[in-house]
Amino acid sequence: MKYSLYPGCSMEGTAVPYLKSIEVVAEALGMHLEEIPDWNCCGATIASGVVGDFTQQVVAARNLALAEPKGYDVLVGCSSCYFSLALTNRRFQTDDHFRQMANEALAAGGLRYNGTLRVRQILEVMINDIGLDKIAARVKRPLTGLKVAGYVGCQTVRAVPWEFDDPEDPVFMDKLIEALGATPVKFPMKAKCCGSSQALTATDIVLAAGNDILQCALDNGAQMLVTPCPMCQLNLDAYQGMVNQQFGKNFNLPVLFFTQLMAIAFDLPPAAWALKNMIVSPYEALAPFGINR
Amino acid sequence: MADNNVSSAPIKYDHNFAQEFFSTENGRLAQKCMQCGMCAVSCATKDLMDHSPRRLFNLVRAGKKDEVLGSNTMWMCTSCCTCKVRCPRGIPLVDVMHDLKNMAIAQNYVSYPQAAFYQAFWQEVLNRGRAFEGGVMARYYLKRGWGEIKKAFEMKDLGMSMLKHGRLPMVPPRKIKGLKELQQIIEKAQALQRKEAK
Repeated sequence: MKYSLYPGCSMEGTAVPYLKSIEVVAEALGMHLEEIPDWNCCGATIASGVVGDFTQQVVAARNLALAEPKGYDVLVGCSSCYFSLALTNRRFQTDDHFRQMANEALAAGGLRYNGTLRVRQILEVMINDIGLDKIAARVKRPLTGLKVAGYVGCQTVRAVPWEFDDPEDPVFMDKLIEALGATPVKFPMKAKCCGSSQALTATDIVLAAGNDILQCALDNGAQMLVTPCPMCQLNLDAYQGMVNQQFGKNFNLPVLFFTQLMAIAFDLPPAAWALKNMIVSPYEALAPFGINR
Repeated sequence: MADNNVSSAPIKYDHNFAQEFFSTENGRLAQKCMQCGMCAVSCATKDLMDHSPRRLFNLVRAGKKDEVLGSNTMWMCTSCCTCKVRCPRGIPLVDVMHDLKNMAIAQNYVSYPQAAFYQAFWQEVLNRGRAFEGGVMARYYLKRGWGEIKKAFEMKDLGMSMLKHGRLPMVPPRKIKGLKELQQIIEKAQALQRKEAK
């Protein structure tokens, strides 16, 4: 199975552990990933606020145009990149006027996109292309007894509502946690917003959301959270100390990308676990499985 | 908060603003709003907004340009899409908020920190082809000035722990190879967009 990988800007910076684990986990599952050559920023949900949706979607479409000759499905990890690329792709496929106009703009850079690709979220690909049975069969270090809160966040399941999972009560992440031998805890805040990029501009939003989400995970007995979203991961992991300060809490909940948990359960080389990149230490939660610093 | 006082003075509506807003890419879809308030009860940040999205759309119809473009509503939106999923009229509120942000920036309503952040992010994309997080932050703090820089120092522990864990590269990645072509594409897209809006 071949895919064109769109890493996105965060995987070059704050979400480095996501990329490290995706590459190795994909290989272990027989997926062949080819990074889109010379990809550019998708604009996220930010660029359209400055230059308008049309321009932002044309910027995103440059990546699809670069990937189209291969014909592989485009694999996206970041929820904001998924939002941007999947919606752009849908517009190319359903709106003739938009496609013509967008191609007129792309032509200024010598490119064209015909709308023949599929844009896929990596969590959805794990379930629908690989399958839970195959994932479970690949597990060499069953995470039996580990209680995990599957934190899906907002855009992954709501960017394109009902594309693959319930936008309000998603279940894919829980199923995957189960396939790794761990126990998904009940987690009503699994799709609550973390505050996203307000971390920099209105930090209190992110701290309040983080407090609610972490408390909910803790109340339901979780030992860690896993997520498919770089923004959620960053806000809950890096800002956890500030949440503790602001609300007088004592949270010590590691927040991993779900692909890191897969790399651990598959017993892939520890470099792919990328645990050194985690700000809240996951070693206490993982000690029962023979994983130490 | 919104002014709920009733005055006996005649209300002056400015329909030009409603027309201007309804001619934007997604703003036109907000014409379908039936004021049910589902967006308001679903919103993750409604408590911090000057007006809920529902009320904002009503203010558009009433022609309250300054109140709409000067409000913090669209800037508080985190693009979590809950309202978009739930809107019974299928209005993509997230995208409508993008149009409002775009209008606000274009008409110089830029006092909110988010406006500076959005512009910093876009400058990074335009100049590098990718958004280097360190670059976005630097541009943002420079735009916002000393007050914000002081706040950044208060958060230095967080920055240090990110550095320590290899989560905050200080050296930007190389610019994309096709940067010139990307800029040409953007220029053309902007021209087409302006033409379409007329």
